Amino acid sequence: MRKTLKRVFALILSLVVAFALIGCGGQNTASSDDGNATTQPEPSQSGSPSQEEIKLTLWSISTESDAFHNAYTQAIKDYEEKHPGIKIVHETFENESYKTKIKSAVAANELPDLFYTWGGGFSKSFVESGKVLPIDKYYTEEYQAQLSRAALGNATYGGVLYGATYTTPISLLFYNKAMFDKYGLKAPTSFDELVHVCRTFLDNGIKPFGVSVKDTWVLAMTHDALTLKSAGPEKTAKAITRNGVSYNDPDFLASATKLKELIDMGAYIDGATGLSNDEACANFYNGTVPMYITGSWMAGSIMTDAENPADFDVTPIPVINSNNAKITDFMGGAADTIMVSASTKYPDVAGNAVFELTRSISKYAYLDGAGIPAWEVDYDDSSVNPITAKIAKLANEATSFTLWFDTLMEANDAGEYLSLLQQLYVGEITPQEFVEAMAAQLES
Amino acid sequence: MNRIQEKGGIGRKLITGFLIIWALIQLFPLYWMFTFSLKDNSEIFGENIIGLPRKWLWGNYTAALTTGKVGLYFLNSILVTGCTIVLTTIIALMATYALTRLVWKGRKVVNNIFMLGLTVPVHASILPILIILRNLKMTNSYQALIIPYSAFALSMALLIANSFIEGIPKELEEAAFIDGCGVYGIFARIILPLMAPALATIAIFIYLQAWNELMFAVIFISDSKYRTLSVGIQTLSGTYTTDWGPIGAALVIATIPTLIIYSLMSVKIQESLVIGAVKG
Amino acid sequence: MEKARRNKLAIFIFMLPAVLLFSLIIILPIFMSSYYSLLNWDGMTKGTFVGLKNYMELFTSKSVNFPRAVSNAILLAALSTFIQLPIALFLALVLARGVKWEKTFVSIYFIPVLMSTTVIGQLWLKIYNPDYGLVNVLLRSIGLEHLQRVWLGDKKTALIAVFIPLLWQYIGYHMLLMYAGIKSMSPELREAAKIDGATEAGIDWYITIPLLKPVIRTCVIFAVTGSLKAFDLIYILTNGGPAHASEVPSTLLVSMIIGRNRYGFGSAIAVSIIFLCFFFAIVIRKLFKTEEVV
Repeated sequence: MRKTLKRVFALILSLVVAFALIGCGGQNTASSDDGNATTQPEPSQSGSPSQEEIKLTLWSISTESDAFHNAYTQAIKDYEEKHPGIKIVHETFENESYKTKIKSAVAANELPDLFYTWGGGFSKSFVESGKVLPIDKYYTEEYQAQLSRAALGNATYGGVLYGATYTTPISLLFYNKAMFDKYGLKAPTSFDELVHVCRTFLDNGIKPFGVSVKDTWVLAMTHDALTLKSAGPEKTAKAITRNGVSYNDPDFLASATKLKELIDMGAYIDGATGLSNDEACANFYNGTVPMYITGSWMAGSIMTDAENPADFDVTPIPVINSNNAKITDFMGGAADTIMVSASTKYPDVAGNAVFELTRSISKYAYLDGAGIPAWEVDYDDSSVNPITAKIAKLANEATSFTLWFDTLMEANDAGEYLSLLQQLYVGEITPQEFVEAMAAQLES
Repeated sequence: MNRIQEKGGIGRKLITGFLIIWALIQLFPLYWMFTFSLKDNSEIFGENIIGLPRKWLWGNYTAALTTGKVGLYFLNSILVTGCTIVLTTIIALMATYALTRLVWKGRKVVNNIFMLGLTVPVHASILPILIILRNLKMTNSYQALIIPYSAFALSMALLIANSFIEGIPKELEEAAFIDGCGVYGIFARIILPLMAPALATIAIFIYLQAWNELMFAVIFISDSKYRTLSVGIQTLSGTYTTDWGPIGAALVIATIPTLIIYSLMSVKIQESLVIGAVKG
Repeated sequence: MEKARRNKLAIFIFMLPAVLLFSLIIILPIFMSSYYSLLNWDGMTKGTFVGLKNYMELFTSKSVNFPRAVSNAILLAALSTFIQLPIALFLALVLARGVKWEKTFVSIYFIPVLMSTTVIGQLWLKIYNPDYGLVNVLLRSIGLEHLQRVWLGDKKTALIAVFIPLLWQYIGYHMLLMYAGIKSMSPELREAAKIDGATEAGIDWYITIPLLKPVIRTCVIFAVTGSLKAFDLIYILTNGGPAHASEVPSTLLVSMIIGRNRYGFGSAIAVSIIFLCFFFAIVIRKLFKTEEVV
């Protein structure tokens, strides 16, 4: 009996502890603001901070293992040094769950002062809900000279500016130059040349392209680019943003057909439907496949993940219809955006910080080889790795940027697009049916 | 155990053989996780997926341990999980007693309603719970996780407790009542000790739910000083490219306490089972 | 005693914490979701009330194909009940008889449940990988090249390839529950039967299993509701693909709410999942009750 009594006593004790913990914890979230808790996104709660100390919370997806982390850290350090008395608390989250987090935060009014988001369709609802601060008045002449209004197109909604960007990633054809040289091949500039390259590799028993259909955005990178190079930038953008152009059109059919042609000739690695992007990229880095179409961020990964980075090179995606598109038209553009919450207590400080931070991040990320700068390069960039430098040059000479379909489109259309693309890949629908289904979705 | 050896026979041997093979299958993930934590991406993706690492990259552990505040996240996880276990088991046992042994109108219906907790998909309840927590001024705190975790574990705990309490004879309660015990006394002196085996089992299952939980932990906590280990590990992956080795290392670090706690608990379960059986 | 059992205050005290916690975190959100499911709402801006339109779309839209997702989930629930649980029960019975290294086996069999889904997911991705995955390598080495598949990427095999790890991982979960259930029975019953000359199998069948019924009932409820809500591992392995072949209600729900900003529509899926799970849970309880009477 003594043993049982002991046990009961232990249980009761823990019950008391548990309740005490909840009891006191519940009301003291506000009163426990003894240090850095003033950064709580809940503005009404944090009491009255002292005059000198301003704290801004910034959420981003630049986790410590992300290529941009160092750039963020440096940029924040520079900012804090330049503005004594202002502190930026940087909280980072993993990419996929961040999407859920940021949407929930908008819905529940829990946004931090500054937050990372994606321009285009993704943030449209954020802006429409009135939770984002317009920042036109902080976009001074100094900034305008270094970051063009055109680069901010994806952060502009209804003519009003809501965010600033730091990088302009673009889609490219990455290829293994060593393997190309072995078969006497050149980087393709037209679709026919691309087909020739694929044939040559296939004849030698090599699968030409790596891709992930499971992570459908990878396949979409290819299809987006083919579409752009078939229909041209304006028509493409108008069609996918429900702007008066039907998707049921020969130019769009052409790109879907070309993609199907590549699939049918066996240009893609076996099992792409079951591979993740990580797995598919590994095949490219280790020289199993010679080509991969993806965003400019792959340049940084080649440097770390490939055994012999010097074997690799990059080229723009070939043109399909030269009447509509040029080799210098690119998929991509500034999607990575930092916005300001409308409920921030320091709109002036935060509004200015967005520009200062993005400018520094742009610089440091480029120097790290992590991203293509969106801001003017007025510093020495000779140390940047050759592939990233080449991409920066291509981006600099670009005649147009069209944001990736799944970012530019509204979320629901984007979801349907990726789903249809997967069906096209596995042969469940024909290119004609694909185009019709896209048109139906975009007209619904 | 002697019973078995007495009979011997091929059947026994077959069964033992089967049990050993099955054990090897069940151990494989553990082995695999450990080797995975010592490799780099090129080995993980293709060159050497199941073998021992060619180069033992202990640096993955350094990377996992120095990224973020792993120590803090670890303590947070222990605190959150511990409180969830204590809170849920107590609440569940009290409610189980009232639902099965006390007599009142509507208890069957209430018992059924509690099963709703098993039915709710986590992703759909994120936003409603976030709004509720916000109204209670509770986001960004330990209780922002402890309370939802407890609520979500409650139904499961109730069901398990329910199926075990059926094995406790009502006569024992009657006897205690005659000895002068009240309802509270019966609960504390008869039911709780006899439920000990169930208690350990329930605790393990609650632990499982809380320790690895990710979505609530990401959404309800923004301040990294309350961040839990599962979220901490997740931040080891980059946006477009991920170094999997350190993630493997972090997962090993996160799994070790689970294994330790579990082996301690399972000894506890075995002991309490014997006690329970003798008393029952 | 009867009077003591009707002690109103005691009932109130015992029930209060559970009811409070449960209403706040489970019931209230269910009501909120039910309301959201009647809106055309992206989760952020102002929604518009559309009545039952989301539910109509749910059951009629071909591109969403909710019925297929539900039938996939029901298949999983059936496999879980009729394959996973019997294996778990078999293991629990064998171990509880007292074999050599009993405790070690119990501990080892539970390990997959303890592992994080990320690890299990990555492991099975390796097992199924089309080039170097264990399954295809094995098939190649025994000369069955023609049976090789892109297991997770083939519409015909994706569903079953996703279910196998799910079923395997949780065998230990049910085994532990059943094992604890058997062990907490009084050993005298078995001893008595043994003296009467019953075989081990006979004891299991006529004495242990009937006594284990409450625990088995709990396991069936967990298996079925768990199957209808299954998400994590499917998300890692196929994310519902290819071309929706392995879609289940939860993957659909997540892609609607999080991927497509269709919060109202996603809530309708959530309400349907809740309804389905609850329906099955009640049916299972009823089934086990009637048997007890007989």
